[in-house]
Amino acid sequence: MQPLAPRPQLTSLLPNSVLDRLERLRIRPVSRRTSRSRGEHLSGKGGTSTEFCDYRDYVPGDDTRFVDWNIFARLHRPYLKQFHKEEERHVVLLIDASASMKFDGKLDLGKQLAAAFGMMGLLNNERVSAYASHQANDAPDRLPPCRGRASLRTVFQFIEGIDGRGDAPLDRAVERLLRHHSGRGVCLIVSDFLTFGDLKRSFNLLYSAGLEPFGVQILSPREIDPDLASDLRLVDSETQETLDISTSSDLMNLYQEYRLGLEQELSMLCRRRSGQFLSVSSTTPAESVLFDQLRRKGWLE
Amino acid sequence: MNWGGFQALSHLWLAALLAPLVLFYFLKLKRPRAEVPSLVLWRQALQDQRVNSPFQKFKKNLLLLLQILLLILLILAALQPFWRGGPGKQRRLPVLVDCSASMGALDKPGGISRLDEAKRRIRQMIDGLASDQELCLVSFDNTARQRTGFTNNKRLLRDALDQIEVEDVPSDLEQALRLVQAMGRSEPFDEALLFSDGNFPPRVNFDLSFKLNYQRLAPAGQNFGITALSAQRSVTGGWDVFVQIEGSPDTEGNASVELLQDGTAAGNERITLGRGRAQRMVFQVSGDRAASLRVQLTPDGFDSLAADNTAYLDLPQSRPLRVFVPKSMISYRLALQGIAGIEVFPQATSDEASGAFDVVMSDRPQDMNLPARTRLSVGFIPTELQRFVEPGTNVSEVVDWRRDAPVLRHVQLADLVILAQPRFTANAGEGDLENLGWEVLIHGQRGPLLVRKQGSDAVQFALLFNTDRSTLPYRVGFPIFVANIVQAALEQAGLAEVDANRTGVLPPVALASRHRYDIEAPQQKLEPVTADEHGIVSGVRASRTGYYSILENGAKQRQLGASLLSPTETSLAGVEQIQFNERLQVAAASVPVKSDRPLWPSLLMCGMGVLMVEWWFFQRKPGGWK
Repeated sequence: MQPLAPRPQLTSLLPNSVLDRLERLRIRPVSRRTSRSRGEHLSGKGGTSTEFCDYRDYVPGDDTRFVDWNIFARLHRPYLKQFHKEEERHVVLLIDASASMKFDGKLDLGKQLAAAFGMMGLLNNERVSAYASHQANDAPDRLPPCRGRASLRTVFQFIEGIDGRGDAPLDRAVERLLRHHSGRGVCLIVSDFLTFGDLKRSFNLLYSAGLEPFGVQILSPREIDPDLASDLRLVDSETQETLDISTSSDLMNLYQEYRLGLEQELSMLCRRRSGQFLSVSSTTPAESVLFDQLRRKGWLE
Repeated sequence: MNWGGFQALSHLWLAALLAPLVLFYFLKLKRPRAEVPSLVLWRQALQDQRVNSPFQKFKKNLLLLLQILLLILLILAALQPFWRGGPGKQRRLPVLVDCSASMGALDKPGGISRLDEAKRRIRQMIDGLASDQELCLVSFDNTARQRTGFTNNKRLLRDALDQIEVEDVPSDLEQALRLVQAMGRSEPFDEALLFSDGNFPPRVNFDLSFKLNYQRLAPAGQNFGITALSAQRSVTGGWDVFVQIEGSPDTEGNASVELLQDGTAAGNERITLGRGRAQRMVFQVSGDRAASLRVQLTPDGFDSLAADNTAYLDLPQSRPLRVFVPKSMISYRLALQGIAGIEVFPQATSDEASGAFDVVMSDRPQDMNLPARTRLSVGFIPTELQRFVEPGTNVSEVVDWRRDAPVLRHVQLADLVILAQPRFTANAGEGDLENLGWEVLIHGQRGPLLVRKQGSDAVQFALLFNTDRSTLPYRVGFPIFVANIVQAALEQAGLAEVDANRTGVLPPVALASRHRYDIEAPQQKLEPVTADEHGIVSGVRASRTGYYSILENGAKQRQLGASLLSPTETSLAGVEQIQFNERLQVAAASVPVKSDRPLWPSLLMCGMGVLMVEWWFFQRKPGGWK
């Protein structure tokens, strides 16, 4: 018996083994935010799905197709059967592809996570759209909403084609994303969140647009624990601005305070808007993030 | 109060180097560039740091501050700041250093000598010497020696100080003060510094014209020493060797004394010396041949001074005294008959009289040319005195005589009648004789009657009147006078009593005329000397105890021993107060001289520390991002 030929790699972002495991997972939003269009997600409102929800008294004008005739036969009173409404959910992938994400595989990990979320969305019959922000003044690269397993390759190709460049701040990218987006669901933001912009406003905009913010902050090890020496001139990779510093223990302590403060602030912003937040190191394998951290935090089920 | 100052304030111009330092720092400061993903966190942290740390601006340029601090320290060091040690500083300061034998005394077993202590303190002064201050080093023992002129050349002063060594001779402060006073005429000064253990006479015959700072060094430890060594001819024809042992005032204990004759033990004795007491002992030594004696003192306990533990004595061979007296001088020959141990020439049975004599007594001028170390001319005036003294014809008596002169000891000359008394020529006087080296021992009414001239190795007496034409031969004092002459001849010939040679200057030695010799001294290199026309080698300095050999082409001709033999030096006693003329007293200073303390070495050390900190600060984390 001849051994089976190895299955071709579906994408360079994630190995097939990971993709296989992802097929059995789905995104678990905190609140059910779905679009009015029909889908596979229970909306929480009454609808026309096959899943029974409740009974109520019949009132004139109700569709008699939903009267439970068996009960009417026993009680001689019409009761109307109610069903859960299944609506469509959007999965928006916002990938920060500015120059700051090029360091130490931050963008690579971000692309892997975005691909995983995209795949989970498509396999669960959700509408998946993707955005990659580069330049501050340009609109982000955009993958229009698509759905179904057939769109897997499209999504992967879009994500694979993202490269790190530009100086797009995250708040600006969110604004531009919302100009094109419609529909409710979740918005996975993969970024280092190192921006001078107003992130609170961006998260408010997302929340107002019906998107639960799922923030994943990816920092490189040298951002988490910088190892600098003596007098240095730091150069911003995006803006090429410079900053002269003389490293000292005071400065390093303050840096850590601000980094942790930013992490807490981002977490707070997400949770208050029914979202989730996770900060990971760029050296953490994507499998560990997906199947360990995200599952334990309840992002996936 | 003046706490200090700068010795080289002219170097303040170096402060101008601060400007190029700052300029170069900012021109040259090139921070390593390190690209980071974003400056967001850094900018916030930096702002917070600047707000919370008011000195952060200084920290930002810490390297520059360290460099400025380093330069300031170097400039300060170049200004040569000093901490004022004393109440004031002298521009010129002569420093007198006692280097006599007692300065070699140690304070304890294995300790340092007094001279080393003095040199240590003087070296501190030299180290703190200001640029406008000058020191002059003068060392003194029994002579004074100017080691340097007034100079502030520290290297020169240190070298001169290092060359000062202990000399085994007593000290003579007066000479040193006179030398310093003479220096002050050309280069005035107000104060002189004296470093000594105070082992010199408390009274100094000197008119002190400047302030003397007497720095008395701490006393040394206990000491035994030989303070006298001599030999007298015994009745048996041998020698009685006398040795005296003394100690410092607080010293008591036991010691052994050993006598070596030509290197062979000739006597040994144990002594116990009490506090403030002296021990005398006698050794008998054969006189049938010349001998070199060495006395070695070995104390049982600690002895602070080694130079006085050994003494040397050179004994001549014992022999009869050879006396020449013409047969015509009957009274003298009769007087000599009662004296033992002499041979009178010419003998009664013979007219032959040849060879060298120990003493010549004659009334004939030509006999004065006979070789002898003691001469007595009678009845004529020596040639060199004839300009000032002439024979007289008047009867006269003795006016006065030197009763303390050895040849006139126990000689009564009162009522002596002289028929032909010599007299001074016109305008001549006693001073003219003294200018020629003659000393008047008997004064007549109009001129000298007996004169003496002491040479380097000979003595000449001249009775200027004819004793046969006086009452002298009939006086009791006449044979005593002749015996005194014989005794003087014995001493001159070294046959009666021999004293050990003391350090300082060796006694004259008769050798070949105008020959060149080398003196081999203890612990010193050969020193050439030349004998004079009489073959006398004299003026050889003996600054160390030990044997001094006179070599001719490397062959030893004579050997002389020199010993300290100074009760003062052995006692190690120090005077607390020096008494000068006109009742001026100088007491030992109660506090040591505090020299100005230079601060530049400390500043340089601080600069080195700053440099190390800067180096560490710069090198603590090489590179930026790894």
